Amino acid sequence: MQDARLRLFSVLLLSVASFISVAGAVLTLIWLLLYPVYLIAAVRSKAYYLLLPFTGIVALVMQLSGGDGLSYFIRMGILLLLGFTIFRGWEPGEFLDLSVWLFGTKTGFDLGLAIEMTIQGIDEASRDWSRAITAMKLKRINPGIRNLTSIGFLLIHLRLLRARDQADLLTTRGYQSGGSCCPEFHPSNRDIIASFCAILILFIALIPVRDVFILMM
Amino acid sequence: MKLILDRIRVERGEWHCSAEGTFLPGIHLITGRVGSGKTTLAGIMAGVMDPSSGEILREGISSCMLCQQYPEYHVTGSTLAKEAESYGIVAKNALETAGLPGRGDDDPFSLSRGELRRFQIACLSLRDWDLIVFDEPFSALDCQGKQKESQRISALSSRIVVVFTHEQRYLPKTDYLWEMREGVLNYLGTVPEAIPFWDTAPVHVRMLLENGIIPANLTEEDIREGLCRMRG
Repeated sequence: MQDARLRLFSVLLLSVASFISVAGAVLTLIWLLLYPVYLIAAVRSKAYYLLLPFTGIVALVMQLSGGDGLSYFIRMGILLLLGFTIFRGWEPGEFLDLSVWLFGTKTGFDLGLAIEMTIQGIDEASRDWSRAITAMKLKRINPGIRNLTSIGFLLIHLRLLRARDQADLLTTRGYQSGGSCCPEFHPSNRDIIASFCAILILFIALIPVRDVFILMM
Repeated sequence: MKLILDRIRVERGEWHCSAEGTFLPGIHLITGRVGSGKTTLAGIMAGVMDPSSGEILREGISSCMLCQQYPEYHVTGSTLAKEAESYGIVAKNALETAGLPGRGDDDPFSLSRGELRRFQIACLSLRDWDLIVFDEPFSALDCQGKQKESQRISALSSRIVVVFTHEQRYLPKTDYLWEMREGVLNYLGTVPEAIPFWDTAPVHVRMLLENGIIPANLTEEDIREGLCRMRG
């Protein structure tokens, strides 16, 4: 999706749809097929499979305690997949644009900047992690629990060093609060159709499945 | 002992690079333009990355090390002593070789990038690796540091040493010359015979070639000697 506003709007609607019913979750999964490249990247993401078991544990506990664990697992699994797929398609600077468009050049700029820096930090931490693993591999060190702790310290250390550099850079540029940013959005026909589909999915998710068949009859 | 790149190809979207060749013991210098795939190829040679297609054969190579572009990428220890030990060497020797005696308890990140680079090359040179791949080993070093480290790399010539660099002045004593051209690794030949065919030759080397002089090798001394010959 080219337009970050429509993307956020669709994600909000689809998140609610996935959360409230299995039908909404399944339709959200079908909606995600509109963006196969990002969906494939999300399905291949290791982080997704790291988080999924936690959902499974909660679902199992729910099932054993008499709740509908399977429904929870499907809904949360697809909700996670939605998050991962949309995150894959996000371009640097879009959160800043969106935030300024929503809340203006003062609060919006600060909020957008904070989000952009956080995402950048996550991205850098992920790269630092793989570099540290590479260094361990080269040194033939087994990345066991003890060594993973030292990598954790290393990542925090690098993050703090970068944070200091970023703070220096912002100070040098005279940043105090707010800033100038002129966001531009270019909605495509595909974006509009996808957003309309998201509204329909939420509508279907809100009404019980039985009623959908009655309406169809 | 040899490293064989058998029809290696890496593809990322529209970008691609390919390599084919045999690397024997000695110093191999690989140059090429920014974005030509040098770092990718360095990672593949060291076995930390996989090519899209092709095969890497390591005949008689039992130990291998990659010196990555940024020295902080190698840090896994919380002190310089622990960092040296992570390479399997005695900390005292590494610290003395790097010109940092008595600083074993220092945090590696308290060093400047240049100091950390010196320390890392010292650690690498103190162990017997069969294959060492250097990716831009002279980055972050001052002239004196570059000169020292290029001499240290020259001294490793009994093993397979591959140096990927943009450095224009302080180069190690090179045995084999390679060049990345439009995403393809080209073997130019042995030094000095291959120097006239070097497209990305440093400015001083080009100046010598324009005056009909082929330096004996690529070290600073060789280039200076060639310049003296040029002046008559």
